[in-house]
Formats: sequence, structure tokens, C-alpha cells
Amino acid sequence: MIWAGAFPSPLCPKPTVETTLSIENLRVEYRSRDLGETTKIAVHDLNLKVGLGEVFGFLGPNGAGKTSTMNVLLGFVPPTSGTARIFGVDVREPIARQRIGYLPEQTYYYKFLTAEELLRFYAGIFQIPSKETEQRIDGVLKLVELDHARKRQIKTYSKGMQQRVGLAQALINNPDLLILDEPTSGLDPIGRMKVREIIQRLKGEGKTVFFSSHELGEVETVCDRVAILHQGELKTEGSVNDLLKEHSSNLEQIFLKLIGYSPQP
Amino acid sequence: MHPALPIALALATALAAGGRLLLWQQSRTQDTGSVFALLLGESRRAFAAQVFLKADAYFHRGFYPSVFDLALPDGKTHMAKETESHNPHEHTQPQHPNRDWIETFGRNFYPSEHRHIERLGEAREILPWLRLAAELDPHRVDPYTVAAYWLRERLNKVNEAEAFLREGLRANPDSYEILGELGRLYAENQRDVPRARAVQELAIAKWIRQEASKPSPDVLAYAQILGQLAALEESTGNLDRALAHFTRLKRVSPAPDTVQKRIDELQAKLGQPR
Amino acid sequence: MNTIWALAKVVVLEMVRRKDFYVLFILTVLLTATAGSVNLFNDRSIVRYLKEICLLLIWACGLVIAITCTARQIPAERESRTIFPLLAKPVTRGQFLLGKFFGCWLATGLALLLFYIFFGLVSASRDHEWPVLNYLQAAWLHWLMLGIVVAFTLLGSIVFAAPSSNGTICFVSAAGILVLGRHLNKVALSLAEPLQSLLYAFYFALPHLELFDARGLIIHGSELIRWDMIALATLYAAAYAAFFLFAAWLVFRRRPLN
Ligand SMILES: Nc1ncnc2c1ncn2[C@@H]1O[C@H](COP(=O)(O)OP(=O)(O)O)[C@@H](O)[C@H]1O
Ligand SMILES: [Mg+2]
Repeated sequence: MIWAGAFPSPLCPKPTVETTLSIENLRVEYRSRDLGETTKIAVHDLNLKVGLGEVFGFLGPNGAGKTSTMNVLLGFVPPTSGTARIFGVDVREPIARQRIGYLPEQTYYYKFLTAEELLRFYAGIFQIPSKETEQRIDGVLKLVELDHARKRQIKTYSKGMQQRVGLAQALINNPDLLILDEPTSGLDPIGRMKVREIIQRLKGEGKTVFFSSHELGEVETVCDRVAILHQGELKTEGSVNDLLKEHSSNLEQIFLKLIGYSPQP
Repeated sequence: MHPALPIALALATALAAGGRLLLWQQSRTQDTGSVFALLLGESRRAFAAQVFLKADAYFHRGFYPSVFDLALPDGKTHMAKETESHNPHEHTQPQHPNRDWIETFGRNFYPSEHRHIERLGEAREILPWLRLAAELDPHRVDPYTVAAYWLRERLNKVNEAEAFLREGLRANPDSYEILGELGRLYAENQRDVPRARAVQELAIAKWIRQEASKPSPDVLAYAQILGQLAALEESTGNLDRALAHFTRLKRVSPAPDTVQKRIDELQAKLGQPR
Repeated sequence: MNTIWALAKVVVLEMVRRKDFYVLFILTVLLTATAGSVNLFNDRSIVRYLKEICLLLIWACGLVIAITCTARQIPAERESRTIFPLLAKPVTRGQFLLGKFFGCWLATGLALLLFYIFFGLVSASRDHEWPVLNYLQAAWLHWLMLGIVVAFTLLGSIVFAAPSSNGTICFVSAAGILVLGRHLNKVALSLAEPLQSLLYAFYFALPHLELFDARGLIIHGSELIRWDMIALATLYAAAYAAFFLFAAWLVFRRRPLN
């Protein structure tokens, strides 16, 4: 919205507003240990900026390089070249993780803990005072609707419940930036709708949300801006409205066109 | 509940019960060691040797030089020799000087002094290992004789000593060592002269059959049995027979002069100057 | 510090809630009870063999608990991907390793405490004595030894990919040092020269786990170990544990996670 139309080129060097997250010329390669396999380029010269308070949809089919990009943002994988900054700090530095919430994809949380204990553990890492911890736990568990199961061990949870526990842990420190890797994967339609609601609510609280997805329906309704990634390359980037206007079709069509998929006649 | 838990519990129970049964049944079956033989095969002899060494280590309150430190030249354990000679002796064996600081430091944490069990009752602590050695390898003779010695001599358990020796005899009917020890038990502890005599004479007969023709016979055992038998005969007044045994003893004894002295005394008593 | 403690608590909780530790404890109790129920020449006061068997089981179980608990930590974090949300929080990789180390060490310590209480009961049931200080010394040394084992298993779990092979390697090396460590110098002295120096150097470099084995002393009711020697042993263990942890950190520090 602030950014709408104000982004002529992805290589725009001077951000004019406060940036939460910026990625410049990022390249991520995986060197295969197996003999005979070549280096796999997962991300190729990626440039992105996410402004304060934005909800940013990071789209792409499976294997596009979304998770790889996020792994760089969180310092799990060093970038082959290029830089990435969060709150203006290079991600290779011990960054300001205090203000980030991260939801990884397909995580099986410590199954011998209850949701409550898990959140208490993570809160302990943020050194949140114990009285506040309990309030936060109550809050996030209500938000993700796991209040009824808070004293059950996670091994008894369904897949959707596990995903919601993940969302709860990403929110426990009341972060300013949320990085969510496919937050709706594995959820049923109601679950997805609820996640969308949560994202909307976070946006209302002024938080920045950077999330990846390959579900296009949900993106249209919640995102301010989107980027479409395919085989490690940025195909397009801009506000949802502009994209829709520019291509005069729906997001799904744009997506399919950009990744070079044409339906068989 | 973890699915492995009941399985592991059942396994543990089975193991424990099985082990218990093994040991229990062992003490009353004829061919002892057969189950161990089944489980361990021939290696049970090696285990028995190790367990016997354990008894020796217990005799020294946990101290025992390892195979790396020294191997006693005649292959007999320290305790066995002491038991055979039946008298406390001086230890001439010098302790190794420490080779490096790790060794020096390490000595603080394990029994590293050559000491013998002090209190009378402590002797009982070596018995479990002797019993286990016998059950691992019932054809090994020294666990029976050593255990019987401690049982009757220090712990006043003559019946148990006799039972254990008899068990050993069932597995080793031709063992002159066990027969000799049994004879001593009858003579010294039960004062059953006829039985003692019968057993000792049988021991001598077995010794002669097995050992006499060997290039280097086990003379020490023979001398011991002869000495005991001679003393028995002497104390019960059969001076002739005592004299005969002493005469045989003199030929094999490491100290023939002492034996000669006894012979002279006996001859004086008999009033038959030669 | 709070972070490390938070990480450690989860490891301890895991051990308490997993059932394998109880299985080992029950196994030890059953086997000791079996050994204790054997009739030995009608003498119920024979106790040292029972202490010996009980302590042997405790030592074996201690190794198994320490190694299996430690070896699975990091592979499990990666397998279930919990390492990602964790390291996305203000946790450095060094803190992560230290948290895992202290967690595993504390967990094995708790297990040891239970085992040694059982040992005290077994022993007192026969000889009616409570040499608590001697037991404490032995248990403390045992725990220190397991601290070294936990540290090198942690290093192994980063270096070797498969947790099961790491567990086996660590178990074999720990058991090997416990059995042979004390004698390597004598073996070295019996060798020809280039090998002799090599083996002797190895002997000095090795963490001498067998130093911490005071079983002989408590079985045979010896006097207390000198406290300054206990302090030295503590330093020795701390130095080796720190070395292995440092090595683990060096390897893990820049390791890409994916
Ligand atoms: N550890 C790895 N080693 C080699 N290739 C990898 C590794 N992780 C991901 N890749 C490859 O990198 C590409 C991008 O993967 P990823 O970032 O997980 O995609 P996405 O999250 O968009 O589905 C894929 O082709 C994937 O096969
Ligand atoms: Mg992905």
C-alpha cells in the first residue's frame, strides 16, 4: 500500500521508507556431497524488500527456493553470495532475533511436552518474566484455539493442531516480524481461514508478516504485496492490485503464466 | 505407555528368572555346568579362570595386579599358593614404581595396596566367586579345594565345605586334590579317622595312577597328602603305617631333613633301632 | 545462563518421560535381586559380590543412558526440525550445545542418584552400614566420568551422521578406555620404538575414564579418597569435557542446517 506502484524495478537501490527486511543479489547454492551430482542453485540473484507493517506473500511452486531464502534470513544457511538484512542488520551477524517469530514448515515439536510446557520453554529462551509468560501463553493459545488441549502432550495432537502449536510458538515473543513458511500447509479449509484471520489480526497490530505459500487463493485476500519465485528466480513482484490490473486476470492465472505452465488444449 | 516397556520387562523377568533357575538348578544336578556350557561354549573355561582371579583379588581387598603387570611364573594365583601352604608369609613381591603421573594419580581411586583380608569374616566374601568359577567350569579343581579350605578353616562351615567338595568330586571323580582336601576335612574337622584314612589312601592311589608316570608329576600335592596321612596314622597310634608314609614322603619332600627327623622320632618311639 | 537452563530442562524432562531409563533400572533391580537370592553356603552375610554385580550393572546402565540420551539429541532436533524454531530464537549455537550437554549430564546424574540409592539399600541390607560419604565420592566420580562421555558423544553426534553408529562408536571407545586405559602405558613399554612413543602419546592424550572408577574402594570398604584428589579429578574431567565441547562448537558453529 505504501509501496503500491512505487517500485519500478526490483533493483531499486534506495528504499524510501523504513525497511524491515531486505535481500540483495542473494544466491544460494547447495553443494551435493554425492559424487556425480552438480551444484544445485536454489536461489538466483534475488532482490526483495519488505516494508514495515506489510503482509508480504512469497509465492512459488514446490522447489522454487522459498524455504532456502528463509533459511538464509534466519542464519541457518550462509548465502553463497549477496546479502540479506533484517531490521538493517546483516543476517550473518548474531541478529536481533528477539523481535522475530518464525514458523518452519513441517516441524514435529517435542512430542513429550504439552503445548503449555513447550511455550514456557520458548518463553524461557526469550527471558520473558514468568508472570508475563503465563499471560502470553493464555493469549496465543486462545488465538490459535488450542486452549482445550494445552495440558495434553503434543504426541496426541492432529496435524492441524501441531501446525497451530507452531504458530503459537512463533507468536510467543510478540514479534515485530513474522516469517512463516507455508503456514497453511496441512490445514483443512477452516484451519486455513483461521490462519488468514490471524495474519489479518497481526497486520492490524502493525506487525510485518513475510510468508511463503503455494496456495494462491489465500494470498489475494491477505497480502499487500507478493513476489513470485520460480526455479530460484524472481518472476514478478508488486502489489496484488497492480498485478491484477496489469495482467487483467486472477492471481492463479498470472502465477501459472509466469511459471510457464500452459494448460493442454 | 511405551510399547517397548512391557516387552523389556518381560524379557528382564525371563532373564532374571532364567538366571536364578540356572544357578539354583546347577547346585543339584549331576552334570553341573551343562547349561553354562550351552550358553558360553568352550569360552566358559576362560570365564572361570577370570572369576577365580576375582576371588584372588577379593582376598587382597580388591588389589590384584593385572595380566599387564605381571604373570606369576607358575601360573598359580597368589591365594591358591597361600591356601596350599597354609601359613601366612612375607610378601617379597615388590610393588611397581609408578611409571607416570596418570598412574600415580590413578592409585587414589582403586585398591592399589597389597593387603590381605583382615577380619576373619571377610574371608566369606571370596566364596561367591569360587562358587561361580566352579559352576562355569566344574572340571576345574581349585575352586572346590580353596573354598573348602576357607569354609572349614576360617568360617567354621564344615558341612558346607564337605558338600561342596562332594559336588566337586561328582564332577571330578579322579581328582586326588579334592580327595586329599576331603580327607583332611574328615581328619581335622570331623575326627572320622576311618573315613579320612580311606579317602586319603584313595587319593594316593589316584595320584599314583595319574601322576607317577608323568615327566614332572605334581609332587607337592602328593607330599601334602602323604604328610597328612602320616600324621593321621601317627596320632591314632598306627606307628608302622605312619613310618611307611613318612618314608615315602621323604623321597618327594622338598625338605627331606625335616621328614628324616620325624622318622627318627617315630623309630625311637617304636623302639626299633636300626 | 537462563537459556542454557531452559534447554537443559527439556532434555531432563525427556528422559523422565521416556520409558527406557525405567526399563534399565528395573533390569538392574531384577538382576541384582536374582544374584542376591542365590544361596551361597548358607551364609546370608556375604555382600561384596552383590555390591560388585550391582555396581557393574550401574556402570553399564550409566554408560548406556548417557550415550543413548546424548547421541539422539541433535539428530532428533534435526529430524523433527525443532532445531529451526529454536535457533531462530535468541539462542547461539554455543548455548544450544551447552544446553544439550548440561541437560544430558543432569539427566544421567538424576539416573545415577536413583541407582546409587538402590545400591546403598542393597549394601545395607546385608552389612547394615551406611558409608554415605564413600558412596557420594564414588557417585560423584562416576558422574564426572559420564560428563566426559556426554561431551564426546555430543561431539560425535555432530561429526557422524547416523546416531546409531555414533552411539556404538562412543560406547565401544568408552568401554575400551575403561578396560584398557590403565594398561596402555605398560603395553607401550613392551613395544619397539616408533610405536612405543606413539602409543605412549596416545596414552597421555586419552581421557582416562578409568580413573573415575572407585568401585573397588567401596566394594572393599576402604577409607575415603583424599578430597584434594577428588578436586583434581574434577578438574581433569572438566578440562576434557570442555575440550570436547569446544571441538563440538568449532564443528557446529558454521555448519549449514537444512
Ligand atoms: N539441502 C539441500 N541440498 C540440495 N538441494 C536442496 C537442499 N535443500 C533444498 N534443495 C533444493 O533447492 C531447491 C529449493 O528448495 P526449497 O527452498 O526447499 O523450495 P521451496 O521451499 O520453495 O519448496 C529445490 O530444488 C530443492 O531440491
Ligand atoms: Mg519449502
